[in-house]
Amino acid sequence: ATLCFQAFLQMCNLPIRVICRANAEYMSPSGKVPFIHVGNQVVSELGPIVQFVKAKGHSLSDGLDEVQKAEMKAYMELVNNMLLTAELYLQWCDDVTVEEITHPRYGSPYPWPLNRILSYQKQWEVRRKMKAIGWAEKTLEQVLEDVDQCCHALSQRLGTQPYFFNKQPTELDALVFGHLFTILTTQLITDELSEKVKNYSNLTAFCRRIEQQYFEGHERDSSTIAARSSKRSLLR
Amino acid sequence: MAAPMELSCWGGDWGLPSLHPESLTVMAYAKFSGAPLTVTTINKSWRALKADLPVLVAEDIVISQPAKILNFLRKQKYNADYDLSAKQGADTLAYIALLEEKLLPALLHTFWIEAENYCNVTKPWFASRIAFPLNLYLPGKMSREALNRILLTKGGPPLYSLTEVEAQIYRDAKECLNLLSKRLGTSQFFFGDTPTTLDAFVFGFLAPIYKVCFPRVHLQEHLKQLPNLCRFCDDILTCYFRGAVSGHSPAGQDTADANLQKLTQLVNKESNLIEKMDDNLRKSPHHPPRKLTTLKLAAGGEESSPMSRLSP
Repeated sequence: ATLCFQAFLQMCNLPIRVICRANAEYMSPSGKVPFIHVGNQVVSELGPIVQFVKAKGHSLSDGLDEVQKAEMKAYMELVNNMLLTAELYLQWCDDVTVEEITHPRYGSPYPWPLNRILSYQKQWEVRRKMKAIGWAEKTLEQVLEDVDQCCHALSQRLGTQPYFFNKQPTELDALVFGHLFTILTTQLITDELSEKVKNYSNLTAFCRRIEQQYFEGHERDSSTIAARSSKRSLLR
Repeated sequence: MAAPMELSCWGGDWGLPSLHPESLTVMAYAKFSGAPLTVTTINKSWRALKADLPVLVAEDIVISQPAKILNFLRKQKYNADYDLSAKQGADTLAYIALLEEKLLPALLHTFWIEAENYCNVTKPWFASRIAFPLNLYLPGKMSREALNRILLTKGGPPLYSLTEVEAQIYRDAKECLNLLSKRLGTSQFFFGDTPTTLDAFVFGFLAPIYKVCFPRVHLQEHLKQLPNLCRFCDDILTCYFRGAVSGHSPAGQDTADANLQKLTQLVNKESNLIEKMDDNLRKSPHHPPRKLTTLKLAAGGEESSPMSRLSP
């Protein structure tokens, strides 16, 4: 998710500095990372940040008409619904991944036994949420199939265009880039998730294009982005 | 080809074949794609204990969620999305996600959590359709599940109280309705002239808000300010659910008259189209020779007599 914001703010040509903190979740007004700190205002989550940036005079979706804006919002919900939930599922509900990767990463800033307690608490929270929306009964294969369907839809929508709404990048591009880049670069037990995304060549080309265009100026940052992307999944 | 398929779901009222959004979605899709379903509504049976309605039973297979039921129907060759392009298929998925994220919480809230609505309308209605003593327990359970779902998905900080969550979900729902209205515009269905999966889902979610008479109705009032969405619901009800409409409400008679008018207009349009087609055929140069050949064949054999009957 951090990457979505960075991409979005880069696209708006706003300079940003990224800082990693262990207590980031507590500093944020909504408990969700990442958040931005501007002057003496603190804003978190993509929706409010977009509004905030718009109020300051920068907006990426001004060129869209009403129907396209509706489509953009719908696709953003699709990404949130499917990809985000699938990422959460894979991190917290798949027992193998939880044991070997998520627990150690999530608890690493804290001493024992706090690390175990906090990660179990987070896992319990996530599993409750999955149960409420009906994902608890899904097997890993079904989740992967859903991700595949979502990527297929995104791939169809992107087609051969450079961005989702032709020439100009929008919030949707930032969001999709953030999620897909995470999936492609985070190391998990199996590579099945990233394989699903790699099946769609226009999506991988899209990610590479945005990375080159908006992140290559900060060359030092691109190596730290890779490191941060693996750290980010523990902060989430 | 397919064995008879049976769908069990919640029944309907106020002019709707069902009050439950998911059951309504499946029924609408079945009508659009022409799938032969026998619909049995839950009435005082213990089936409701499974509480996972709607449920499709075909031969020995039991399928319960709307998405899975629709997939199954598509595999049985009842596909309402046949004419859609790949991009339109992708749009369908996106808009369904939008509906589930933004509109469903408000729908659940209006039905199950808003105290006046729940006590005066939802609970008595569902309780009357469930067998005793299950009707003392099941509506409460459904209400608790709805609240749980809303709080877990929407209720994190910075929204700390239920009233703030409610305000947020109604704002989201109104925005979602506005977006749907803009997307529909002036066309009859979301992708042209034939209804598809997306139309089934939108109808399933909108029709209960539109038709059910609740004491607290701000979402319904907002919907009524979007005439193209109201027209969309009414059209589907008159065209596809004519037989199942129970004219229960006092406003039913007015809507029935309006629907009758619309129906006569549609019939007139169709008869005009048929007349035009007739004229075109008569003017076409190939018409006379074809007539002769069919007459000759009619003299020869019996199987061509239906052909001669068909030729105008």
